[in-house]
Amino acid sequence: MKLREHEAMKIFGEHGIPVPKGFLIHSPAELGPRMGELGDRFVLKAQVEVGGRGKSGGILVANPSNGARLAEELFKKEIKGVPIREVLAVEYLDIQKEYYASIAIDRSTKQALILFTDQGGVDIEILAKENPDAVRKASLPLLMRDIPPFMLRDLLGSSPKEIGSILNQLFRVFCAKDALLAEINPLVATPHGIFAADAKLIIDDNALSRQGITLNRDLTEREREAEKHGFSYVELNGDIGVIGNGAGLTMATLDLIEYYDGKAANFLDVGGGADQERVMHAVKLVAADPSVKVIVVNLLGGITRCDEVARGIISAGVVQPIIVRLAGTNEAEGRQILDGSGYRMMESMEQAVKAAVEAVQ
Amino acid sequence: MIYGDRSTGVIVTGATGKQGAFHIALMNEYARKVGGVGVVAGVTPGKAGQEVAGVPVYNSIRDALKKHDASASVLFVPGFAAGDSIMEAASAGLSLVVAITEHIPVHDTMRAISYARIHGCDVIGPNCPGLLSPGEIKMGIMPVHLSSRGHIGVISRSGTLTYEIVDQLTRAGLGQSTIVGIGGDPVIGQTFRDVLRRFEEDDQTKAVVILGEVGGSLEEEGARATDLPVAAYIAGISAPPEKRMGHAGAIIEGGEGDARSKIARLKEMGVPVASRPSEVPRLIREIL
Repeated sequence: MKLREHEAMKIFGEHGIPVPKGFLIHSPAELGPRMGELGDRFVLKAQVEVGGRGKSGGILVANPSNGARLAEELFKKEIKGVPIREVLAVEYLDIQKEYYASIAIDRSTKQALILFTDQGGVDIEILAKENPDAVRKASLPLLMRDIPPFMLRDLLGSSPKEIGSILNQLFRVFCAKDALLAEINPLVATPHGIFAADAKLIIDDNALSRQGITLNRDLTEREREAEKHGFSYVELNGDIGVIGNGAGLTMATLDLIEYYDGKAANFLDVGGGADQERVMHAVKLVAADPSVKVIVVNLLGGITRCDEVARGIISAGVVQPIIVRLAGTNEAEGRQILDGSGYRMMESMEQAVKAAVEAVQ
Repeated sequence: MIYGDRSTGVIVTGATGKQGAFHIALMNEYARKVGGVGVVAGVTPGKAGQEVAGVPVYNSIRDALKKHDASASVLFVPGFAAGDSIMEAASAGLSLVVAITEHIPVHDTMRAISYARIHGCDVIGPNCPGLLSPGEIKMGIMPVHLSSRGHIGVISRSGTLTYEIVDQLTRAGLGQSTIVGIGGDPVIGQTFRDVLRRFEEDDQTKAVVILGEVGGSLEEEGARATDLPVAAYIAGISAPPEKRMGHAGAIIEGGEGDARSKIARLKEMGVPVASRPSEVPRLIREIL
């Protein structure tokens, strides 16, 4: 789950990373009484989880005389369709140079990947492609407590040494918070020292509970409902509802729909042990999306009981037609149950997908 | 076969849970059928003295190893305990851990894999169905009835998609040497590259199917490093960016790891890539 900038900034600050002074406001009225804390120039930053916030007018430089008016304006704005409900007010930083620092998961080395460049404030992915030598990298096993000094020297080159301790604190944040990504872009040099002018932290969804996070904000309401049942669900924008077991098989089902020029409305992986109850909930959930015109159920398993699945499909009692591919135990019973109630059971996933695409055309 | 054979003794950690008990029975049913050793002991802390599916349970892997010969463990413990169980197995001297468990915090996985490597222990998974060498050994939860013994190696990030492809290979008369589910998490122990290296040493394996999906670049890294004939299928061509497609690792991030660019890179290396699962047997025949 992505934390908001002010949440990440607070955590960075608690771990000893220098961050600008500031506070969060939920309405323009909250700014006035505390404006004095910010000095004669400050920045209002919209807390929205969309990229390109600065370019879309979500970051405004203000002073005590125009601050109230700019805050009013900012709260009325939308950034790429997202309304602004929270604004971070922070002191203005007199930026002399911008750096970039991040720590992420590296799938290939199975270690933390530390990136640093003295060309900050840019899109790191673009910089890495256009000028790979400008981005310094190091891999660190998570068994390490700190980034070793030689590694810091390699990363920093001629950049100020105090950034080394910031990188170390960032690594500690990364570990303490079960982060998939901890990023400072930009990290800035000012006459008063180095500061994290921005903060980004993505927490591993599998570690949310031990991080004390009870609600995953990244999920839509239907995705959250699906999670309660133990399903993986992703909303898409087609008209063919999809239910599969296993992420790979469900993805392959979506791909096959695209291959036959259809459009999937969703991805739903019911997970292991697809019994009557789970299948019923899955069918109901998918059918509740008004754009779904037909549903494909593709379940393959050694221990999946086809008769149970068939009963689950029927007991959902939805209006859309359902095309089923089932392989497992008690296949014949499953087929019988479905045939008797007007649903179609196909021999292969390919046939099932073809039939579904034909049904919506 | 790779990673294990009929003579490999297996310890199941998380033996007394519903999943553990169920799959001990299935693994040993298969072991009896092929004349293998199978699961010799179970481990659940605090449950020593119990018996699960005819197998004695111990408090620790060390205790189990005092009474039984084993070189591998299969994990069915919950996510938060799995990193610990991997390290326990490595520390006790086992050479292979198959981590079936899903939802392990990725930092736990990274620490456990680093620790296991220090002890010379290989980790398959987590979030995987395990492995099956038809006629030799099953370590994990793969259904055995779809497989048949032969010369095709299968490496997959998925579970049920693997069964789908194995079924199609079997129907096409293409038996399998070993089927390895390497797992759907972003960080996994044995990667395509590691398993391909094992297949290179394995006389039984003549060609390999790589079943990949969106996220990361492990498929390309593996294919690049091998001289075995390889064919691939990559799931997720219709997956939207920045969305996790069921597996924690199946996500296109920062413009990296999408199916089209993966497929393009594989094809550049001369690896045939199926556009539908049903094409895999034909592609394998062409490279054999």
